[in-house]
Amino acid sequence: MDLFITVTLSLLEGLWTTFKIFALTLLAALPLGLLISLGSMSKIKIIKWPIKTLIWIIRGTPLMLQLIVFGFGPGLLGINGMSTFVAVMLAFILNYSCYFSEIFRGGIESIPKGQYEAGQVLGMSKKEIFFNVVLMQVVKRIVPPMSNEFLTLVKDTSLANTIMIYEITWNAKRFMNSEHILWPLFYSGVFYLAFCGILTLLFGYIEKKLDYYKG
Amino acid sequence: MSVISAKNIKKSFGKLEVLKDVSLDVQEGEVVSIIGPSGSGKSTFLRSMIHLETVDGGSISIDGEEVVANGIYLKSNAFQKLGMVFQNFNLFPHKSVLENITLAPMLVNKETKDEAEGYARELLESVGLLDKIDAYPYQLSGGQQQRVAIARALAMRPRAILFDEPTSALDPELTGEILKVIRDLANRKMTMVIVTHEIEFAKIVSDRIIFMADGYIVEEGSPDAVVDNPQNERTKAFLKHFTR
Repeated sequence: MDLFITVTLSLLEGLWTTFKIFALTLLAALPLGLLISLGSMSKIKIIKWPIKTLIWIIRGTPLMLQLIVFGFGPGLLGINGMSTFVAVMLAFILNYSCYFSEIFRGGIESIPKGQYEAGQVLGMSKKEIFFNVVLMQVVKRIVPPMSNEFLTLVKDTSLANTIMIYEITWNAKRFMNSEHILWPLFYSGVFYLAFCGILTLLFGYIEKKLDYYKG
Repeated sequence: MSVISAKNIKKSFGKLEVLKDVSLDVQEGEVVSIIGPSGSGKSTFLRSMIHLETVDGGSISIDGEEVVANGIYLKSNAFQKLGMVFQNFNLFPHKSVLENITLAPMLVNKETKDEAEGYARELLESVGLLDKIDAYPYQLSGGQQQRVAIARALAMRPRAILFDEPTSALDPELTGEILKVIRDLANRKMTMVIVTHEIEFAKIVSDRIIFMADGYIVEEGSPDAVVDNPQNERTKAFLKHFTR
């Protein structure tokens, strides 16, 4: 029983780190993803193609590998003093920005041309049209794919254990070595499940909130 | 003074020359209808007048201010003086009827919320939709949506309104309500240019009818002259489809 409490407390501690990675990634990757999506749709080739290439590289290589590159790359280049946590954050933010950007792009491109034209003939600037007419409609359309990404992110945080970040999975694996028991690892699934459960409820609520209009 | 003056407008989509040399002057208070077969360039011409299409050549003045000079676009906000009503309404689906109408006046004309809403109410009353003020577009019929779109265009207090086939997306029994609103506007001397297939309506409401084909204005004149007594063979052939 004591061991159960010790494990639970340890996993809760890991949950806090998991939550930090999750929240900071979203906070940075959502706006950055929007920017990247705008860049990837740019008519200016020297903006568009480097960004398209970046998206290709990030989506085309494992997140695990990216974590290792950010975790150990700076040291190999002689740059010391970057904390592992910062490395993890950089990898997650970059990775998720690129995935988000493609969701934003899909959403933005799905808005009919007539919406832009209606804004234009009413004298609105491109910026005004984007923020007042297009963006809110995009939000509604991208809620389902975004909820997928959010759930994936919760579980992807477990990859951070490979470069010694003490999130849930790392804390669970710890007992494998110290106590020679496997069950904390299985038990850790409950924490991910609960986290994702709350997110699912939240997204259900958002979808319902946005249901006030159709189209 | 003419509200819209378009001279020698040329426009191509790739190799396809849609407007070959089209000129039109619209006087204050005048209602001009443009008719013609599909692909004649009439919608493209209308859209050029409000810069939804960029012309390749020709000049455009709005309210006496030159905005396009020989195919060169000058720095000017004069296109804003025109309003437009689309075939597919293009209402903002995420905004209520009231918000659809007040958005641009508040954002662009910097009207206060009270001013914008007060005028929106007036306009909704005039198109008979005051009871739908809080509805969302998806809750309205096509005819109602189009009436909101007209109110939305009017809210910017335009010098003229362009209508791009305003009844083409509507069931036949709903076209009447739109035509009535347009007729009311004509009676109040709103300057309008209407691209339409409703020949009978065009005849009643217009001061002048223009027949376009193959990127040219083929014939123009009073409704009686163009509709009942066309001179050009193309006009005659086209209008045959509409004989009662």
